[in-house]
Amino acid sequence: MKPKVCVLRTDGTNCDLETFYAFEKAGAECRMVHVNQLRSGGEKLADYQILALPGGFSYGDDVHSGKILAVELTSFLRDSLQEFVDRGRPVLGICNGFQVLVRTGLLPGRKLGDISCTLTNNDSGRFECRWVTLKVEESPCIFTRGLSGRVLNIQAAHGEGKFYTGKEQMDSLESAGQVVFRYAGPDGRPTMEYPFNPNGSLNAVAGICDRTGLVLGLMPHPERFVDVYQHPNWRRGGFEEPHGLPVFENAVKYCLEM
Amino acid sequence: MSIQEVRVVNKPDLPDTVGEALLYDIRHTLGITDITGVRTAKVYRFEGIDEVQAGYMADRLLAEKLFQRYSINRPLLEGGVVVEVAYKPGVMNPEAASLIKSAADLGIAGLKAADSSREYAFYGPGAVPANIEVILKKLLVNETVEMVVKERPGTLMIEGRPGRTEVIPIRGMSDRELMDLSRDKLFLNLEEMRAIKDYFTALGRDPTDCEVETLAQTWSEHCGHKTFKASLEVNGKEKPPLLKRLQEATRKASHPLVLSAFVDNSGVMAFYDGWAICGKVETHNSPSAIEPYGGAMTGSGGVFRDVMGTGLGARVIASTDMFCFAPPWTDQSEVPPGCLHPKYLLRKVVAGVRDYGNRMGIPTNNGSVHFHRDFRAKPTVIVGAYGILPESACQKGKPEPGDLAVVMGGRTGRDGIHGATFSSGEMTHRTVDVNASAVQIGNAIEEKRMSDALLEASREGLVRAVTDCGAGGFGSALGEMGSETGVLVWLEKAPLKYQGLSPWEIWLSESQERMVLAVRPDHWLRLAEICRMYNVEAVVLGTFTNDRMLRVTYEGETVCLLDMEFLHHGLPGRKLTASWIPPEDREAVPGPPGDWAETYCRVMAHPDVCSKEPIVRMYDHGVQGTNALPPLGGAAGDAPNDAVVLAPLYGKRCGVVISHGLNPVLNKINPYYGSLWAAAEAAANAVAVGADPADICLIDNFIWPFPDSESLGALDMAVDACVDFVGATGMPFISGKDSLSSTYRGADGTVIKIPPVLCVSAFGRVRDVGRTVTADFKKAGTLIVLVGKRNTREMAGSVYCRLAGAEGTNLPRLDLKALNTVFRSVHNAIAGGKVLACHDISEGGLAAALAEMCFGGEVGAAVDLDAGDVPEEFLFNETAGTFLVEIEDGDLTPGLFDGVPHRIIGRTVAGKTISVSRGGEALFKVDVDKLRDAWKRPMKEVFGP
Repeated sequence: MKPKVCVLRTDGTNCDLETFYAFEKAGAECRMVHVNQLRSGGEKLADYQILALPGGFSYGDDVHSGKILAVELTSFLRDSLQEFVDRGRPVLGICNGFQVLVRTGLLPGRKLGDISCTLTNNDSGRFECRWVTLKVEESPCIFTRGLSGRVLNIQAAHGEGKFYTGKEQMDSLESAGQVVFRYAGPDGRPTMEYPFNPNGSLNAVAGICDRTGLVLGLMPHPERFVDVYQHPNWRRGGFEEPHGLPVFENAVKYCLEM
Repeated sequence: MSIQEVRVVNKPDLPDTVGEALLYDIRHTLGITDITGVRTAKVYRFEGIDEVQAGYMADRLLAEKLFQRYSINRPLLEGGVVVEVAYKPGVMNPEAASLIKSAADLGIAGLKAADSSREYAFYGPGAVPANIEVILKKLLVNETVEMVVKERPGTLMIEGRPGRTEVIPIRGMSDRELMDLSRDKLFLNLEEMRAIKDYFTALGRDPTDCEVETLAQTWSEHCGHKTFKASLEVNGKEKPPLLKRLQEATRKASHPLVLSAFVDNSGVMAFYDGWAICGKVETHNSPSAIEPYGGAMTGSGGVFRDVMGTGLGARVIASTDMFCFAPPWTDQSEVPPGCLHPKYLLRKVVAGVRDYGNRMGIPTNNGSVHFHRDFRAKPTVIVGAYGILPESACQKGKPEPGDLAVVMGGRTGRDGIHGATFSSGEMTHRTVDVNASAVQIGNAIEEKRMSDALLEASREGLVRAVTDCGAGGFGSALGEMGSETGVLVWLEKAPLKYQGLSPWEIWLSESQERMVLAVRPDHWLRLAEICRMYNVEAVVLGTFTNDRMLRVTYEGETVCLLDMEFLHHGLPGRKLTASWIPPEDREAVPGPPGDWAETYCRVMAHPDVCSKEPIVRMYDHGVQGTNALPPLGGAAGDAPNDAVVLAPLYGKRCGVVISHGLNPVLNKINPYYGSLWAAAEAAANAVAVGADPADICLIDNFIWPFPDSESLGALDMAVDACVDFVGATGMPFISGKDSLSSTYRGADGTVIKIPPVLCVSAFGRVRDVGRTVTADFKKAGTLIVLVGKRNTREMAGSVYCRLAGAEGTNLPRLDLKALNTVFRSVHNAIAGGKVLACHDISEGGLAAALAEMCFGGEVGAAVDLDAGDVPEEFLFNETAGTFLVEIEDGDLTPGLFDGVPHRIIGRTVAGKTISVSRGGEALFKVDVDKLRDAWKRPMKEVFGP
């Protein structure tokens, strides 16, 4: 049976269709679920195997990116969300979804209300859309199984993507192997150099997971590269496989094997 | 209860990017170097809660303690000179609704109103009142919508009582009094004012303010297109109205893919697998000239709604933007009174398009920026949108008597009153003061959720008809939708942003993010349910009738009662005379440059040629994941492509091609050939990426000076060019718009006619996005082939001539017959898989196209001219509809470009050098990276590194 994915939407969500398609292409069965349907009880998280928080500008990114939705989730869906995570079901937050996960506390500590990292304004002070090179690190992340050491080309598009946290927290993330993706230069090595690191993220962090590897958040958009022709340079050769697709396939595979 | 203030700052050891960006502008835009630092605080104000509650909000919502600190009811920025900038009362701050929502989510009770703003602290010896005043004026405060907060506000609520409906004693008015009534408000001419007077005289009563305003809106140039519908006498000869000629050309072309032309909010053509695609392009010059950020936002929002409101509802899949400004380095003293500096305008317009499109999740991925000194009085701001919808629901809906008139989306405020009439008026030195209420700040999230709800309602078949509330507000939307049936409106049911609006203000408010639907009564409950789920407000505002009357009531009182026949057909037809006397023929012969390499760099650095990458990157051009051929590509991701190709149906390879063309410089020299150039350029851009010329439709936008006899004569020629283009290529225009107010009149009598612009947008379909090509050279050692017909002596208007200061009338005069065969031939070569790269030749000529292909390929090129070629003409001629094509050596078989002019001009080479010779004799060499640096520099200077 295909694993069921809840693609969570609210006011200002806008990468929902492509996230939906990426999971379907990877072999899942998706459903668009508005946060109001969860609040009203018309939909239940427990009916899904995977929760996806797509990119966009939830509630206009007012106050802080993803903040208003994070407050809504921690106020109204605290129990069902914690239960979903505690039952070992994968959660993926992309771009705005990553911002939401960090602001709920699900990342990196998988504990609602415990905010220990943040995503803030790009050092450039600008929203930017560009293809970036990501190095996949060794980590417990179930979304990147079999990918560690690889270098992926993925599009990033955000204004508030600079990963920031205190030194202790950063050290703890590093030692637990929770950094999943780093921005890399043309040589494939992690870098702080603009524009390869488009936002000035600490330790070149582009994506992190929790300690179990089931909750993943990243700023770049793997769902925008699940067909080869989505890359601007597929005509120049060297892109036999779409680089974003394995992230979704791994999640589906994980559920099927569970 | 008093107002609670929460201030939030980033911790002092962490960057403050807002402050840093401002400091960069203070230094680089204003040249003030002795301000050493800027820090900012976000200020939140809450009414109706106490300090403890405010503290809870700060902890849980407003400040993240990881990198921020906050204060309650006391200052937070230390030292320096502190200034606070906020939206004026009545300008809706989109953040306020989120604050109220989140407070409720946090269980905060009693919150009545919320607002946010920002404080700036300036440090260093330069932080003196004189400098700060300049910073506020030039960088921070647009007085149309913003203000400096001098004291803590007593309340955030806007109070007011609705004004009474006034009766205008028009029957007793003299001609002079009629024109006094019209000026600055109605923008109607005497004949039109008299028609209104006569109508009410015959009825035996005087009109209400609401009725007069409704007529003025409907009859405005913006809505009524009076010039385009006027009968014409050109150079003494009778000619049919402009609009009729365009529509007739489309009808004659009888294109099999056209599903809906000129009747709906956008033009619709067939796509594949039961789907249709639609396109609409709009101008937003007047609002953008006085409040560029808000103006550009409402421009984008409006054109998106046009697409959303096509057929029974469409999904927006792309956004485009085409701008014309004075050069960003124009001296302030050259900017006319009442106008804003072009650099400020450019940056703010880009920011407006960015913030609306990005938040809506619509990829902005085709566009251009053009510069000419004469745009200093008013910019041209063009925004386009494209959508996809089921073919079965692509025809404009028609309400039935008994259907409910439903309004959904944002609330109605005093925004944009007089937007339609205002944009039809000329810009004067008074414009900024008198018409300030014509602009507002858009709320993209409101529109996004409305779009989500509308698409769901449409999928469920709940929409009988839909249209957006644009210029003219409810008045225009309902007046138009009910024109065949009649409509009864209950104005008091409209949800308002604040109290105190008079009935006519509610009726004509141009508050954004609203749409009007005709809905069967038994569908209403389900529609309301969908809207609730998406947090969208929807109410029944009226009902469609069968009396062909427009009847508007407020609390039981009739405030407007007009016969639909008079409203829509009572406008006196105009008869206009036009003449255009061609300037005396004069040939621009620029001659060769002193230094080839240096001149080549100057051409690449010309603002019309230079890289627009910083703009493209600020737009989320990849959202929706549909880009199959993005605006930028090439090895380093910085090489421009001619058009964009989208694959909007996930998992399918069929694509939408979008491109455009315009050239105000050529239009000024010769409106006919300049306009042909624009149309050819639009089509050539699409063909260059692989579009089939048989599968392309066009959209026209005429942005013209006020139509005096001369300008109207030029307009007439531009329309002739469009008609001839359709006749020759078979590509029909299926949507269009005119904006005829590009004239500035200063107090001292200065008249500036903004250059006439015809922007032609092209959109089409391709069966397989895999059969499209980009512009970057793919490898070294391949052939470079020039395809297309050109007379290289036709240099007038080219960037090369403009740099050389050579003026003339010898602009490119396109051969339409040849053009069409070239399009076919290039398309066949691409479809046959023979073309590695293709780039159309436009501003900057063959040389600019060649350089851009090298940038993308990280290669060089060796080009050899014939002994008889004039090198500067060969390299820099700008004939549209000509192409540079990269082909594998050996693939240039007979038959590939048979019957069309083509020649091999050289080869790609491994080193990053472009070398040019003539008849084997070396002319010059230039380093590709040197050209690239020159080409990238100008926009980096405008937008920062």
